[in-house]
Amino acid sequence: MFRSNVVIFGIAAVLTAALPAAAQTPSNQDLEEIRKQIQELKESYESRIQALEKRLKEAEDSATKAQSTAAQAQESAAQAQQSAQSAAAPPPAQQASQSAFNPALSVILMGGYNNFSVNPANASVTGFLPAPLYGDALGPRGFSLQESEITAAASVDPYFRGQFTAAFEGDGSLSIEEAFFQTTALGNGLSVKGGRFFSSIGYENSVHSHAWDFKDPALVQTVFLGANFAETGLQLNWIAPTPLFIELGTEIGAGTTDPGLGLDTGFNRNGIPSWTAYAHVGDDIGTGGSYRVGASTLQTSTGNSPIPFADLDQTSGMTNLFSGDVRLYGLDFVYKWAPDGNPVDRNFKFVAEWWYREYAGNMTFDSATPAAAIQPFTARQQGWYAQGVYQFLPQWRVGLRYDRLNEGSISTAQVGVAAPDYTPWRAAAMLDWNLSEFSRIRLQVQQDRAQQGVVDNQVFVQYIMSLGSHGAHKF
Amino acid sequence: MTAMKRVALTRWLAAAAAAIAFGQSAHAAVDVFACEPEWAALAREIGGDKVSVYQATTALQDPHRIEARPSLIAHTRAADLLVCTGAELEVGWLPVLMQTSGNGKIQVGQPGYFMASDFVAKLEVPKAVDRAQGDVHPYGNPHIQLDPRNIALVARALTERLAQIDHGNAAYYQARLKDFEGRWQKAIGGWETRAAPLKGMRLVPYHKDSAYLIHWLGMDEVIDVEPKPGIPPSAGYLAELLTKLQAQPADVITRAAYQDPKAVEWLSERTKIPAVMLPYTVGGTPQAKDLFTLFDDTIDRLLKARRPS
Repeated sequence: MFRSNVVIFGIAAVLTAALPAAAQTPSNQDLEEIRKQIQELKESYESRIQALEKRLKEAEDSATKAQSTAAQAQESAAQAQQSAQSAAAPPPAQQASQSAFNPALSVILMGGYNNFSVNPANASVTGFLPAPLYGDALGPRGFSLQESEITAAASVDPYFRGQFTAAFEGDGSLSIEEAFFQTTALGNGLSVKGGRFFSSIGYENSVHSHAWDFKDPALVQTVFLGANFAETGLQLNWIAPTPLFIELGTEIGAGTTDPGLGLDTGFNRNGIPSWTAYAHVGDDIGTGGSYRVGASTLQTSTGNSPIPFADLDQTSGMTNLFSGDVRLYGLDFVYKWAPDGNPVDRNFKFVAEWWYREYAGNMTFDSATPAAAIQPFTARQQGWYAQGVYQFLPQWRVGLRYDRLNEGSISTAQVGVAAPDYTPWRAAAMLDWNLSEFSRIRLQVQQDRAQQGVVDNQVFVQYIMSLGSHGAHKF
Repeated sequence: MTAMKRVALTRWLAAAAAAIAFGQSAHAAVDVFACEPEWAALAREIGGDKVSVYQATTALQDPHRIEARPSLIAHTRAADLLVCTGAELEVGWLPVLMQTSGNGKIQVGQPGYFMASDFVAKLEVPKAVDRAQGDVHPYGNPHIQLDPRNIALVARALTERLAQIDHGNAAYYQARLKDFEGRWQKAIGGWETRAAPLKGMRLVPYHKDSAYLIHWLGMDEVIDVEPKPGIPPSAGYLAELLTKLQAQPADVITRAAYQDPKAVEWLSERTKIPAVMLPYTVGGTPQAKDLFTLFDDTIDRLLKARRPS
C-alpha cells in the first residue's frame, strides 16, 4: 500500500502547487468573469456595428453614384441589395469552439462481415495468461455489428470540460468507455482528469476503436491491455514549457484486476490497486515529418480477488488462480509524414510498440479440485507490433502490420508447468476507402497464428461512419 | 515498491515542480499562436516587436486538415493568445491542442481565445446543416481572409484584444493599428481600382474558399471543382463538370497551393479555361510575402488570366 500513498502524496503536492493560479477568491473571479463577458459583448457588438456602418456607407456611396444613368442605378441597387443582404446575415451566435451543438454529440456506427478459416469461438493465444477471451476480441463469423459509440462532450463551466462515451456492443451490451471531467483552467501545462478514461499509456491504448488503422488492435494490445485499458480514477498530465514537446503524466485508480481480461473482477479493498506513469517526447522533423516517442508503465495487483486462469496450454480444462502483482512496461513510437505537412492527398503513418508484462505472486494450481496446490509463480512475457499506413490517393489508404508475442519465461516450483515453446504472431494487410472525412470502408486480410498448430486466415470487411459533430483526432 | 523506485518517483515529482516554477517566469513579449499565415502576418503588423508569433500552419497546408502534432501542443501550451479563424475551420485539430495544452489562458471565453471570424459578417451561413451537403460549416463560410475589409475589422478587434492582454503596451498597439489602417485603406482603394475589370468574372474555385473574394470584387462563382465541400472530385464527376462548363462557360479555374493540381489541370486542358493558382494566404505564392502582396498577387494573377475582351 505504501506506493499508493507516495503517488497520492505526489499528486496532492503538485495540485497544491498549481491550484493558487486557478482558485482565487470566488467573488473576485466572478467579478472578473462578468467584466470579461461585458468587455467581450461590447467588443463583438462594436465590431458588428462597425461592419454594418461600413456596409451602409458602401451602399449609400453606390446609391449616390447611381443617379447618373438608369442602367447604372439599377446595377447599384442590385449591389446595395447585395450589401444589405450580407450585412443582414445572421450575426455570429457564439464563439464556436468545437461544434454548433452543445454538447457536441457524435455517433459512430461500425460493423461488417468477418470470415475465418477456423472457428473463432475456440481461438486462443498459446502460452499467454489469460487469453480465453481472444475469440471474443476477434468477433463472430459472418455479418455483425461492432461497437456503436455515442460521445457527448462540452465545457462544463470555465474550469472544467466533460466527456461521455458509451459503446453499445453488437450483442446489445452497454459499456461506459469514458466518462470524465478534465480541468481547463489550471494553467502551467497541468490538467487533471477524473472519472473513467482511456489510460494514456502506450499509443494505441487511448485510441478509440473507430480511429484504429486496422479492424482489430494489435495482439499485444489485446492480450496485455484488452482493447483499451480504462482507468477509473484520476490522471495528472503536464506539458513542459519547452518548444520540444515533453509530456509527463500519472494515473491512479481502480484499474482492472487484470488488464488483459478487461474485467473489473473487484479489488474490493480500500486503497488504490493501480497506478500508471507515462512520458512522451515529440517534435517535427523537417516540414513534412513529425514523431512522438513514449515510455509507460502500469502497475496493478489482484488484491483479494485472484484471477482465474485456464491452463497454460488450454487443453486440460484445469482452472488456476493467480494472486499477486501485475506490472507492465512499454515503449511506443509514432512517425507521421505528409508532403509539406499537408496530409490531404498523401500521407504516411508508422507506429511501433513494445510491451513487457510481469506476473509476480502465487498461483493456486488446479484450484477446483482437492489436489489444489499453491506455489510461487512468476511469468515474464513480451510482445510488439509495427505497422505502416500509406494514403496514396486522397480517398485511399493501404496498411501493413506485423505483430507478435514472445512466450518468455515462466518460473514456478509446480511440476509440469512451463511456457510452451511457441511464438504467436499475425500479419495483416488492409485497404480502406474514405469517401469523406466521415465515412470509411475497409478490407483487411490477416493470417493469424496466435494459437499453436492453427493457421487462421481471416478476411474482414468493415464500415465506420461518423454522425454529428466533427471529431478531432489525437496525433 | 522498492526504495530505488521510490527515489525515482520523488525525483520525477521534484523535477515537475521545478519546471512549473520556471514556467511561471514572465515573458517579455506576448506569445501569439496563429493558426493560419494571414493571422500570423496580421499579428506582426499590429503587435510589432511586442509580440512573438508562432505560425502553426503554412500556405501549403489545408487548414481543415492538420494533425494535432506534438510540436503544436508544445506551442499552444506556451501561448498567451490564440489567433485563429474559428467558425469550425480548425475543428479537427484545435480542440485537441487546447485540451491537451494545460493552458488556461487560451480556453474558450478567455481573452487569449481570439477567433477572427467572430468579428466579420459571414457568407453562406447554411439554413440547415446536413452532411449530405459535404463538410458544411454551421457558422458560415470560414475562409474570410480574402476580403480585405474583413482584415480591417479583424485588425481592429485584434488590437483591442492585445491591449486587453498587455495593458502596458496598449498605446503602442493602437499606434500600430492606426498606421496599418492608413496603409490598408489606401491599398484597398488601389486594389478596387485595379480589380475593376474583374467585375463579373466567372470563377470555378476548387473548394468553397473564394466566396469573400468573389463577393468583394463582384465576381461570379459558377461552380466548384469539388462536388461537395471537402470531397475530392471523382473521374466521373469531373466528366460531368466538363459537360456543365461547356454549356455554361467560365473565365478561370482557381486553386490554392495545397489543393490537388491534377483535377484543375485536367479540366483546364479540356475546357480551354485558364487555370490559376491563387495564394489564398501569405506564402501561398512566392509573390505573396505579406498581407499587402497577398492581395496584389491575387489580383495580378486574376487579371493575367482574364481573356482580353
